[in-house]
Amino acid sequence: MRALLALAALVLGTVQAQATGALTLRFLDVGQGDAVLITSPEGKSILYDGGRSEARIQALLKGYGVQSLDLVAASHGDADHITGLVPAVRLFKPKFFLNNGIAPTSQTWGKLTAAVQQAGTQGLLARDQVINLGSVRVTVLPPPPGMPRDEQNVNSVGLLIQYGSFRALMTGDSETPETQAWLRKYPASVLGNIDVYKSIHHGAANGDHSAWLAVVQPKNVVIGVGPNNYGHPTSQALELYRRAGATVYRTDRQGTVTVVVQANGRFAITSEKGAPVPANQGTTSGAASHPATPASPVYRSCAQARAAGVTPLRRGQPGYSTSLDRDGDGIACE
Amino acid sequence: MSQENSEAADVLSAVWVVDGLEGHLARVELEDGEIVDMALASLPRGVKEGDVLRVVVEGGDFSLELDPAETARRRTSAQAALNALNMAAPGGEIDL
Repeated sequence: MRALLALAALVLGTVQAQATGALTLRFLDVGQGDAVLITSPEGKSILYDGGRSEARIQALLKGYGVQSLDLVAASHGDADHITGLVPAVRLFKPKFFLNNGIAPTSQTWGKLTAAVQQAGTQGLLARDQVINLGSVRVTVLPPPPGMPRDEQNVNSVGLLIQYGSFRALMTGDSETPETQAWLRKYPASVLGNIDVYKSIHHGAANGDHSAWLAVVQPKNVVIGVGPNNYGHPTSQALELYRRAGATVYRTDRQGTVTVVVQANGRFAITSEKGAPVPANQGTTSGAASHPATPASPVYRSCAQARAAGVTPLRRGQPGYSTSLDRDGDGIACE
Repeated sequence: MSQENSEAADVLSAVWVVDGLEGHLARVELEDGEIVDMALASLPRGVKEGDVLRVVVEGGDFSLELDPAETARRRTSAQAALNALNMAAPGGEIDL
């Protein structure tokens, strides 16, 4: 028995040693569409949208060595966002399927919901809710009330990803009525100071706008885009990102864009090919961007941590300290 | 081939779905699941996202018309399936 326990400890130790200790976001090159793979330091994963091709997402998930998915999310029901979720659900049988609650009439959607049902995956209607992806805090931004139910874009589900001081935001194909409603609903401290931001609607003219970006303050923008007939990304969107001072990555030019966030809050962005467009410069640089971010945040009180929107803080998460964990159960500011 | 069969062979019918509208284009899901872009101007006036289109090819003539009954049927059925999937969703904070 002792030998078995020793072997189990060794195996567990090996598994822990293999953990990256970092949050990884991959903005997958799925052509014209969106797919973002989010993996926590503990190996928990979310696939936020799946692009427009079943074969392409399967190849990408295999190529990046994905072993499991805990949750898949459809930002909304358009085919260029949900098609790749069908094989993802079939292959990995995730625990949850996050959705906006509005069913499209397409066959693709029918295939997806059938796959979800067959996999025994629990549907999860988007609402004000926090999902802990291991030590990574994922805040769901549900479509605000009052959006017309016959338009998928304005009912996009957003995700705010927080890991210590790092913040990423992705809001599907939301259009101005939805982002305006979010601006009324959430304080700037929730939406703003975003390190990595997914361009709305592949850089369409009806997505991002100056009032929204003035609050979001994106430092880096990733556009999920491929060959298309729609003019994406539009010159208007690119100009908005330039004015925001953001570095722009495009999956059609840079391929899959990967963001690795360390526990100390620093992050690095690398791309499969090419170089990003640096902020406020019209030329491309020769190297991928490696912006520095502050070290792990220190919260002097739970009130301060709550104001930052990071509570509760678990042991191991950036910002956790024993002084905030009064009952010593490993969870501070409960 | 009988005259009846010959006439049937001349009439092809298919159902397409408007997946989304992108400016002056519509993204359309064909019957085999393929997604294509079509000029909005080539579709029936007032077409909206989610609409089902009835396509009829008859003797070389091609016609497209909205099928509101089939649209409604699909909406109801798909919504019921989604509501059932979402029914037992847990509230509060979720730990994955």
